[in-house]
Amino acid sequence: MSWLVASLVVGVVAVLAGATLGRARVPAVVALLWVEAALAAGAAGRVLASGHPLVGATTALIPFGGAVIDLTALGALVVLVTVVVTLAATLYWLGYAHHSMSSRSATSATALFVGAMLAVPAAGSTATFLLAWELMALGSLVLVAHDHARSPSARAAALWYAASTQGGAAAILLALVLLGAHAPSSTFAALSVAATHLSGATRALVFLLALAGFASKAGAVPLHVWLPRAHAEAPGPASALMSGAMVNLGIYGVALVGLRLLGGGPAWWWLVVVALGVVSALYGALYAATTTDLKRLLAYSTSDNMGLVLIALGLAGLAHAHHHPALAALALVSALTLLVNHALFKGLLFLTAGSVVDATGTRDLDRLGGLARATPVTAALFLVGAGAVMALPPLNGFIGEWLLFQSLAHAASAAPALVVAAVVAGVAALALTGGLSVVAFVKAAGIGLLGRARSPEAGAAREVSRPMRLGPGLLAALCVVVGVVPGVVLPTIERAGAGVVPGATPLRGGVGLTLAHLNGAIDPVLIASALAVALAIAVALVRGRAPRASRAAEPWGSGRLIQTPRMQYSATAFAEPLGRVFDDVLRPESDLEVTPARESRYYVERVRYATRADDVVERVAYRPLRAALTWWGERARALANGSVHRYLAYGLVTLVVVLVVLA
Amino acid sequence: MTRRYLGGTLPVPHRVTEDLGPADAPLEGVRDLRHSVQIRHVDAGSCNGCEIELANAFAPVYDAERYGVRLVASPRHADALVVSGPVTHNMAGPLARTYEAMPEPRRVVALGDCARDCGVFAGGYGVAGSVSDALPVDLVVPGCPPHPRDIVAALRRLSDR
Repeated sequence: MSWLVASLVVGVVAVLAGATLGRARVPAVVALLWVEAALAAGAAGRVLASGHPLVGATTALIPFGGAVIDLTALGALVVLVTVVVTLAATLYWLGYAHHSMSSRSATSATALFVGAMLAVPAAGSTATFLLAWELMALGSLVLVAHDHARSPSARAAALWYAASTQGGAAAILLALVLLGAHAPSSTFAALSVAATHLSGATRALVFLLALAGFASKAGAVPLHVWLPRAHAEAPGPASALMSGAMVNLGIYGVALVGLRLLGGGPAWWWLVVVALGVVSALYGALYAATTTDLKRLLAYSTSDNMGLVLIALGLAGLAHAHHHPALAALALVSALTLLVNHALFKGLLFLTAGSVVDATGTRDLDRLGGLARATPVTAALFLVGAGAVMALPPLNGFIGEWLLFQSLAHAASAAPALVVAAVVAGVAALALTGGLSVVAFVKAAGIGLLGRARSPEAGAAREVSRPMRLGPGLLAALCVVVGVVPGVVLPTIERAGAGVVPGATPLRGGVGLTLAHLNGAIDPVLIASALAVALAIAVALVRGRAPRASRAAEPWGSGRLIQTPRMQYSATAFAEPLGRVFDDVLRPESDLEVTPARESRYYVERVRYATRADDVVERVAYRPLRAALTWWGERARALANGSVHRYLAYGLVTLVVVLVVLA
Repeated sequence: MTRRYLGGTLPVPHRVTEDLGPADAPLEGVRDLRHSVQIRHVDAGSCNGCEIELANAFAPVYDAERYGVRLVASPRHADALVVSGPVTHNMAGPLARTYEAMPEPRRVVALGDCARDCGVFAGGYGVAGSVSDALPVDLVVPGCPPHPRDIVAALRRLSDR
């Protein structure tokens, strides 16, 4: 308890230090954040080791019931993940802050953001939770708006994010208030007791409201529209924190309300979750495969991965509703493993993408290239992350997807028809998104890192400073370790899952993984060794052949005198066939403008071709909504014409109406 | 011999491929081409007379392909470079790039009088020089334009067939 309180106190100090200190503020705040993270990790470690939640309360600090702390095993796991991502991102920030993100507001907001993310899983009552949740939104919002002075797209992203996160918070507030309407207090323990007395309809309403609020934070389609904008516009360390750590809290929220506070619920709730996951996974992967903006690609891939987590979580809920404790536990472990792995590799990818943007000044893949030579360390780190997100062994992404496949495979044999339908959809989605994310990341690495520089900025790229290599290096090392020896994290994840769904996991750890009573086993060490041997043989075969004389010559361009790097394969060209296949979904807008020569219309002076595939959900659903809100705002102006008499009349009428209603 | 065609008749000749006799002595060191020669042709400023005759050399009558010689579309695939015309200023760069793009071992054939010594274009304002001024020439086919029979005979010295 004392460790957690100390951690929160250090967090407050860090926020104040960021807002007041002079030039040394970034290193000072980073040092304070490390202390804060270490203390929080200590508290979380003790919860996970003992299996008992950390509970405490004080009537001070927060109105409506005071501050309540209730750190469960699941929350402790989320805290640990946040701590790891924070360590890497802040280490990276030490180097990054030489150019950017070193203002008082940004420093203080980062401290606030990290502190709030550590506090959300520890919160034990409605008021505490919402306070931490809103502080987290506030801190990250300031970071998204960091480049507001220079970039109109950052301003737009901040507005989208603010509207989405407030909408989500309103839904969560409504859900928790509905849940606590007849509870003696608003602590989570009291809420979970009170939930058993609620009618089925109310419980369903609470669940759906909470799901909407939390799924929007996790970037689930169709509530994801803010995510590709905000994650792309936030500076490197901030986007890594958002995509590596913050989205996890959305998943935590769904598990908290659905499994802990409401205690499971009927199967159809979880079918909704699985459906949301399938849609998010497919949609996110499709847009990641077709976009040419490096950071938007990563952000859409976050939607995709959170979709997979939601599929696994939904499956856990389904198995729980159908009384299959072993399957529920396995599915939950796979959800949490996917979550932990995603935090590691997406944090890594966003940090290295931040380095790329820092070195070249552009996020457009069609203007990058040649970075494997110019920035070898960053490129290698990006490649590790890309391999992990593509779920290639021996990296960590593979373990999570293997577990999800196993849960789906075993669910198919052990459940009624409706669940089997969900399972089939889940397997199909997993297979298709796997392929699409390979396309996305082959594109990102192949176009962004290989070839020649496609713009002068990319040509001038230099390797980034040491902290900016160490931060992602830490995460890359963890990706490899977890991928080869999953035994280092799986017992912890199992313990975190055990507190949520009763039932023993059929996982048998150690070096290899075996499912007891179920048919499934894997040995990552063996896979890694086999890969290493195969690689060694391939290298030996290539080296062993008689060397051929070779001579460097420029690429053959039919004798053309002017060849530019822009004539290389581009990201747009790479994604074009896929975009054509999914034309009906993406509905790209293309624009061909031909200017004929003045002398004769048969000769062309200039051809301009532009194509764009904006988010289709945004176009279909959000643009009309925004137009309607703007229309409503314009109409409402007529009510406020500046007359004081009129305003006093409004006040009087409101008072009378309230009195009549209450009387 | 005649055949019915749309109600009428048309003469259909017998095969007309010329018998070109035995090959001349092969050029030194062409064993490494192994009797299979891929040719890239570059017009460095020709009047197109040599092009017409080169096309005829590969047409059915003289049929250079039966001797293991073939035209290809990229210098990356070529063993020999056939250059026609004087080397003009505008084509000097692309010619050098084409030669640079060829894998080794590589041979250069100067086709026609212009390629040999600039022919009637010698001293022209657009002419940079003969092919041997630009590249190491292995074989010269004289003539303005050279007869397809001579072209095939020269190429057979490369393929040794």
